[in-house]
Amino acid sequence: MVLNMDSTIPIYVQIAEWLENEILNGNLKIDDKVYSQYKLADMFTINPATAAKGLNLLYEEKILYNKRGLGKFVSHEAMTIILEKRKEMKLKGLLNEAVQEATRLQVTEEELLEMLKQIMKESKGE
Amino acid sequence: MKVIECERLVKAYCSMKALDQINFSIEENTITGLIGRNGAGKTTLLKIIAGFWRGTEGEVKVFNRSPFNNLEVSMNSIFVDDMMSFTYTLNLGEILDEAKAFYPNWDEEIAFALLEYFNFNPKQTHQSLSKGKRSTFNMIVGLAAKCPLTIFDEPTTGMDAAVRKDFYRALLKDYLIAPRTIIISSHHLDELEDILEDILLVDEGKKVLQLPVDELKEYAVTLSGRTAVVMQTLQDKEVIYKRDVNIDNCSVVVRNNFSHEEVKRLGIQVSPVTPTDICVYLTNQTKGAIDDVFNKS
Repeated sequence: MVLNMDSTIPIYVQIAEWLENEILNGNLKIDDKVYSQYKLADMFTINPATAAKGLNLLYEEKILYNKRGLGKFVSHEAMTIILEKRKEMKLKGLLNEAVQEATRLQVTEEELLEMLKQIMKESKGE
Repeated sequence: MKVIECERLVKAYCSMKALDQINFSIEENTITGLIGRNGAGKTTLLKIIAGFWRGTEGEVKVFNRSPFNNLEVSMNSIFVDDMMSFTYTLNLGEILDEAKAFYPNWDEEIAFALLEYFNFNPKQTHQSLSKGKRSTFNMIVGLAAKCPLTIFDEPTTGMDAAVRKDFYRALLKDYLIAPRTIIISSHHLDELEDILEDILLVDEGKKVLQLPVDELKEYAVTLSGRTAVVMQTLQDKEVIYKRDVNIDNCSVVVRNNFSHEEVKRLGIQVSPVTPTDICVYLTNQTKGAIDDVFNKS
């Protein structure tokens, strides 16, 4: 797991997304302690303030909770919140891009839907 | 707590002002990148903070004291650059041994471990080192001193890419173990930005901006698309830089303080601007653009 330093996504958002992935794939479970800002700074060679910003992002979204003096932990609702957020933000964003590209290429709605169905069928078939 | 406070600091050489009423402060235990073009006043500023030089007007406070000729400040700070001179009567190992007497927090273990890691022969003299090796050795002294205020003035001069990468990692690791206030001036902002907390951008002896790196990354965006379309969206925006791609298309760098959806709907491409590029655009003192020089003929 390496961060993409050239990406258009700010590092602290990438840190937050990486932690979300750790929760999604089960490496971090409910009530597990997550890495401290210093540990994250060391892991990714980033400033600890940047790492703290990533952690805070997840705390504000209630994916993590605080235990005073002990650090941040995975909340009970973490999984649901992440899944909802990803659907809302990422999937919609990707679809938006697809629609814009389709318009540029003069692909009709029917054609686009047909392509989508085809792709879903193919991915299920595998 | 503020470790450094500068108020209306001026440094004048004859009629030229290297620093012109510069105001800023630096918080304790942060890593700040001091960025600016050649001749912007970076070294002058750092030497005044380190207490090597005296300002002409205004006030500097380091650990709440005026740094010039102050023992307390010099004991608690170290200034590292490629001009650092060590006596030629001692070899590298002996220099590190002696340094212990000067710096109360000196970390002997780290000093010799780094000396070995970077393949130095402790019996060599400082004068016999190549430019890059000399910078590397100075960096070792700067890290091992563990001074509450550590100043690096272009520490990576002459270092190859691998050593620079090791240096940034070493600096960060050492900072995590022993947090302290660090200022680094550098022309390699792209390599350095991830380990920085704040950026202080200076130009012509003045502060242009001082921001957390994360905010600087979102400070500006590039709008590119058909010139006619882009131009009509610019009215309420702060333009930083403009470049014509060809007759019909242009790209404009603007302050990132508006909703992107609106311009995207017009078919304009919105892309981020790296901190390095923002710093270049904000300190553009050249007349026009480099293209203009060639277009004249």
